[in-house]
Amino acid sequence: MFYDLHMHSCLSPCAEDEMTPNNICNMALIKGLNLIAVTDHNSTRQLPAMAEAARNIGIGMLFGTELESSEEVHVLGLYRRLEAALSLQPWIDAHMPGIPNDEKFFGKQEIMNASDEIIGTESQLLIVSLSASLEECVKEIHRTGGRAILAHVLDRKNSVTTQLGFIPMDLDYDGLEVKFPAQKAEVMEKNPWVRKDIIWLVDSDAHRLIDISEPVNDISEETVARLWGDLQ
Amino acid sequence: MTVKELIEQTGWQCMTKEADTSREVNGVYCSDLLSWVMGKGQPDQAWITVQSHINVIAVAVLREFSCVILAEGAHFPEEVIARAEQEDLVLLESEAPVYETAKKLMELGI
Repeated sequence: MFYDLHMHSCLSPCAEDEMTPNNICNMALIKGLNLIAVTDHNSTRQLPAMAEAARNIGIGMLFGTELESSEEVHVLGLYRRLEAALSLQPWIDAHMPGIPNDEKFFGKQEIMNASDEIIGTESQLLIVSLSASLEECVKEIHRTGGRAILAHVLDRKNSVTTQLGFIPMDLDYDGLEVKFPAQKAEVMEKNPWVRKDIIWLVDSDAHRLIDISEPVNDISEETVARLWGDLQ
Repeated sequence: MTVKELIEQTGWQCMTKEADTSREVNGVYCSDLLSWVMGKGQPDQAWITVQSHINVIAVAVLREFSCVILAEGAHFPEEVIARAEQEDLVLLESEAPVYETAKKLMELGI
């Protein structure tokens, strides 16, 4: 299955307005992807529309969010079931700093329905760090039935490497995400304690339609089953 | 100046009970990005940060810092303090912001 499990909808202030539920699903379909996930910053509020659009268009979908820990590390929570992903939202709300979004500076944070109509606006700025450590974020993702993937681990911004120097040895994450397959060897060299059987994802972190992955990154049914069980 | 003298003159809270306070403080390093600290910190510096993650201990030991000062009134979790005790690393907490904390060290001639 060709996948891209890290992209942002127009709910994320930094994403383009064109990142609507139907545009994302259709572009992924045109590109030949089989399984996608939208992971907006610190929010699951676009996921109901994503779920419906994906169902209508006929593309596989996981449900996610990209949390920012108090250390400013980005970690993906990826869920098989929409309801499980939505059950994380009250915890996120309780750990938000409550900074209003300045649309002119950061961009719009629009919530849509499955027809790409705007049904709401998130007033709190979403690109903020939660008042919860990386360990606490991973624990809460697990408690709500999700899988925790350390996002873009070699990025120079908001990665575990930049913020914490290296991958914490005792952290209970489920997978590591890189931008390019070649980065895996570098991660293993710098963090030799990473489990040899850890699951790797190569995602786009797309904020524009054009940046959604081409059909080059393949995930096996076995890996999906290991992480989330049977998707059917 | 030793870490012990530093504690006496600043009134900053020393969170570690057993760790060695007789070490000399020669210089200061300020950063919250641990990747930068790993690359740039020098032995015997006092490190001012707002990060209190367990990785702070490993980085401070690696760079041979004389102590870590957590600024802005932030607090070290208990397990982080316990690890610092094991590594014989002094952890201090300052109520003041990073800049004011660094200024205090400058006033003391560090």
